[in-house]
Amino acid sequence: MRRTLTFLISVIATVVLMAATYTPDNLPIPYLQDRTQYVSNPDGLLSQTAVDSLNLWLGEMEKTHGVQTVLAVVERIEGGETYDFCMALGRKYGIGRKEQNSGLIILLSTGDRAYTILTGRGLEGTLPDAICKRIENYQMLPALREGDWDTAMLNAVRAITTYVDGDDSLVGSSDFDDSDTGALIGFIICMALGLGIIFFALWYDERRKSYCPSCKQYKMKKISGYTTRNKRLGIRTHHDTYRCSHCYFTKELHWDENLNSGNGAAAAGGALGGSFFGGGGRSFGGSFGGGSFGGGGASGRF
Amino acid sequence: MKTLKAILVAVMATFALTSCTYNTLVEQEEGVTRAWADVEAQYQRRADLIPNLVNTVKGYAAHESETLEAVVNARTKATQITVDPENLTPEKLQEFQAAQGEVSQALGRLIAITENYPDLKANEQFSELQAQLEGTENRIAESRRLYNEAVQTYNTSVRKFPNNIWAMIFSFDKKTPFAAEAGAAKAPEVQF
Repeated sequence: MRRTLTFLISVIATVVLMAATYTPDNLPIPYLQDRTQYVSNPDGLLSQTAVDSLNLWLGEMEKTHGVQTVLAVVERIEGGETYDFCMALGRKYGIGRKEQNSGLIILLSTGDRAYTILTGRGLEGTLPDAICKRIENYQMLPALREGDWDTAMLNAVRAITTYVDGDDSLVGSSDFDDSDTGALIGFIICMALGLGIIFFALWYDERRKSYCPSCKQYKMKKISGYTTRNKRLGIRTHHDTYRCSHCYFTKELHWDENLNSGNGAAAAGGALGGSFFGGGGRSFGGSFGGGSFGGGGASGRF
Repeated sequence: MKTLKAILVAVMATFALTSCTYNTLVEQEEGVTRAWADVEAQYQRRADLIPNLVNTVKGYAAHESETLEAVVNARTKATQITVDPENLTPEKLQEFQAAQGEVSQALGRLIAITENYPDLKANEQFSELQAQLEGTENRIAESRRLYNEAVQTYNTSVRKFPNNIWAMIFSFDKKTPFAAEAGAAKAPEVQF
């Protein structure tokens, strides 16, 4: 009995430990869903305030200098080598814009007590290895030794921003604003299309009702009408009488209205508009530009 | 008339196929050349770093002259060997790799002895040089990986049918990738 218990506990412990071990393939990248989220904080090691600040600064850096960053703070990584992890991550996603290879990966693995700042090929001039090392030694190490992950990351990114701001050769990503506007335009077009469909459906419905089968003209007008309800089926039946103002032909129209979803045409239009809206919304997620990494940057342990 | 047409079509098809294959082979060979240039550039980068590193260490550990000299000598020997990408024979590559491997080993020993000098380890310039050295070793490893990838792509193309016929006619030879050596070209362990 005791042996079984020990076994179970060890299995559970293994599972729990495994769950906190990340590989480049299973590390969540929130940026792909939302382009304002540069920080991957799956274990919740950073406070929300720190994450918000980091996202803000890194967003500014991408807008003004086209530097695309992934910053990850995790409990443990497979293999424990932060440099190898960052290279694999960079290779997998192609972080950074292709034209200037301005990708940046910052990884801290607290359980492995290791960290890496990895610079894309185009960033090696702006952030040489020695500078990365200096940032790590002076901005990160003191806080890391205290176990203050927030301060270490905030200091590091603040320092990196200073160096990047000083380099005018890095140009802001033009597609950053473009695709933002693009998404907005797409959204407006979709909304207009959705509304157009609704109005067309309503207009078509009215026109169909005004068609006179006798003189073939659209001159029928509603002169009277009443409704009956069927609560059991959840429908309301309209009994309308139309008369043609041209030939005075009269016709009766009976149509059912579903009490639960309103006018059918409008509902369909709404659903269409809604799905278009969803499509527009998805494009707010970010995408990586295909930048490459040659192994620049600096790593360390604490 | 019909036969003439058939022959014409056959000739044209051959030309179309040849030019396509030929261009692909040229492109892939260029890829190998580019990758090789990068490998040499990264090794050169390491060679450029060595005088600075040696001078810094000398300031703290002058009596380790043997180790320091070994690094300088290995560097001198390695920089003399450059390989023309047109002439990338297995022997040449072997020679190049052996010379660079000696530099790696000498550097590894140098880094190992610095462990005995706490003042040196605390020196900011040395720490940054060490970071540069580590970054350069990483770059070398990455450029070698990319070179081997380019070679593999090219070699696969050259050996595939019907490319192998055209490769034979236009003399596209197989290229040599880096062999993973037992320790010789291994990056020195840099501990912090």
